[in-house]
Amino acid sequence: MTLGFTLPDRFGSQALGGCYAPETLVQPLLDLEAAFRSALMDPAYMAELKAELRHFVGRPTPLTPAPRLAAQLGLKALFLKREDLTHTGAHKINNALAQALLARRMGKHEIIAETGAGQHGVATAAACARLGLSCTVYMGVTDMARQAPNVARMRLFGAKVEPVEAGQGTLKEAVNEALRAWAARCDRAHYILGSALGPHPFPTLVRTFQTVIGEEARAQILEQAGGLPEVVIACAGGGSNGLGLLVPFLGDRLQRIAVEAGGHGPDLGEHAARLDGGRMGVLHGCKTLLLQDDHGHTAETASISAGLDYPALGPELAALILDGKVEVRRASDEEALSGARLLCQAEGILPALESSHALALLPTLAAEGAATVLLGLSGRGDKDLSTYQSRSGL
Amino acid sequence: MNPLLPFLMAGDPSLEALPGLLSAAKALGLEAVELGLPHSDPIADGPVLQAAAHRAIQRGATPLRVLQSLAGITDSPDVVLFTYLNPLLQLGAAELKRLLAPTPVRALLVVDLPFGEEPAFEAELRAAGYPMVPLLAPTTTLDRARQLLAERPDPGEEAPFAQRFAYVVARLGVTGTGQGLDLKPVAARVADLLSLTSRPLAVGFGLSDPRSLTAVRRLGATPVIGSALVQELAKGLGLREALAARLVDDL
Ligand SMILES: Cc1ncc(COP(=O)(O)O)c(C=O)c1O
Repeated sequence: MTLGFTLPDRFGSQALGGCYAPETLVQPLLDLEAAFRSALMDPAYMAELKAELRHFVGRPTPLTPAPRLAAQLGLKALFLKREDLTHTGAHKINNALAQALLARRMGKHEIIAETGAGQHGVATAAACARLGLSCTVYMGVTDMARQAPNVARMRLFGAKVEPVEAGQGTLKEAVNEALRAWAARCDRAHYILGSALGPHPFPTLVRTFQTVIGEEARAQILEQAGGLPEVVIACAGGGSNGLGLLVPFLGDRLQRIAVEAGGHGPDLGEHAARLDGGRMGVLHGCKTLLLQDDHGHTAETASISAGLDYPALGPELAALILDGKVEVRRASDEEALSGARLLCQAEGILPALESSHALALLPTLAAEGAATVLLGLSGRGDKDLSTYQSRSGL
Repeated sequence: MNPLLPFLMAGDPSLEALPGLLSAAKALGLEAVELGLPHSDPIADGPVLQAAAHRAIQRGATPLRVLQSLAGITDSPDVVLFTYLNPLLQLGAAELKRLLAPTPVRALLVVDLPFGEEPAFEAELRAAGYPMVPLLAPTTTLDRARQLLAERPDPGEEAPFAQRFAYVVARLGVTGTGQGLDLKPVAARVADLLSLTSRPLAVGFGLSDPRSLTAVRRLGATPVIGSALVQELAKGLGLREALAARLVDDL
């Protein structure tokens, strides 16, 4: 006997994903799956989501050609999918808004969220303000310090930001605390998870609400370039912008790349590259590639970008990588900073540190002979100004 | 009826203290104890057990060392190993069985393993004499409870308490010392479950004073005492003193 879910809850040949949740959360997760399925079939929900994505979020986001940067690197063409231009400044709002609408439809007026870079927290706080829901965001104390502008934004939107002191004070601990808070309040609260991870149905839910990125981008590039690119590339923390961009291109003959955080060194604890040193394990409700020690304890991670600083890769993206459908690369902290500098100077766009990891790979792709590249610019860099200033001597 | 199911965190106050605590539990006539395997990300635990796990890990209480320190111990009640899944998965079923064989562990309570998610792993451990304790939460519908009790079945009346009991989670949320736990819903819940099953029930999460322990016993169930006990033991008290300190006046 299985748990009784309807949607597929495992991914790929190694059956990643699943629902490794404490019993208290099993029924709420079953209810969430049912609500999600019925919302997708409800024309009123879909119409409201579409209208909000258009008028509140600002979709469709542009696909911006970056000819100066392309020429500088020796690419024929480079296109940027501009999630940085969404309201609140990152792709996170696509999912946060859709889940907030879902929560309201379920009669849940309290929202819990975790955040790393603060983009998911800000997006959730904004969606809650717009829909009249109360919002509590859990955030590690290290991340609160390095993403301070986002903490202020959340508070301005009326959200309560709960500092999480445990461990490294980063995204992993924030998810721990959000899961605990949800277990205590699951009778009235909905947990808006911000990446394509966690127990089923979250990975599927988040991916579904993020594929709007790739669907738009695919149509846009066909129209603007007259054909598909050779490479589609995005950064990967948990994997939500990566899946959102890459999944609609899965049927195409092209190179799909996810870029992990190489941090400041190759040893465990110095990076967040789950494909280098990650082993199959269970964390936060799903089975996936996990950075861990010999005892099955989660390893420390490091990255200049809070949004990629997480020890597990979302199960669906991990499965696509293990099954050879998506390639994985890594970019170090320093390379990400150079990637950001390239874009700032050639095109006048300030990328989030997360997105800069994808930008960092562009010189390599050019050297490998790629002609046309589509890059997911998952967010804007305003939140990272202090890091850019201190690390680039601006 | 087993009067009490105490929870101990392995490695807190120390692994060296563990044999003495187990022996004291046996001397008190308890049939079983829950033993927590300290984990890096205890998502179902409140601040007290999080801190205890953290201290234990700092002192080197790895899963391997905990199980090795239990090897050969016989002066102990049956041990129910309370743990998260990942450390067990990393050991693998074969190695885990080998490590458990010389220990007093008789059952596993894996907080984040719903039935059906690791069927082969669970079946192999059950066959070796390590069944998984069914957990019944406030959110578990009676239909689902019926299903859970069938999937992780009662091995029968000859089997020890540790292998028979179902764990009733007393409240939403995580482990911890509960201020004024409302026992009315717990009473209704236990009555409903007793109509489904004849196996022993233990009730835990948030029981931290003699009044709630007594109330649970009156319902015909065994109270679990965790965070409140771990707090006392961390001060260096022995088991009997820790229980007497603020918890149990009628053992
Ligand atoms: C701008 C931006 N990009 C990427 C990420 C990484 O998350 P994911 O892999 O889920 O897209 C984050 C997470 O905070 C983010 O803020």
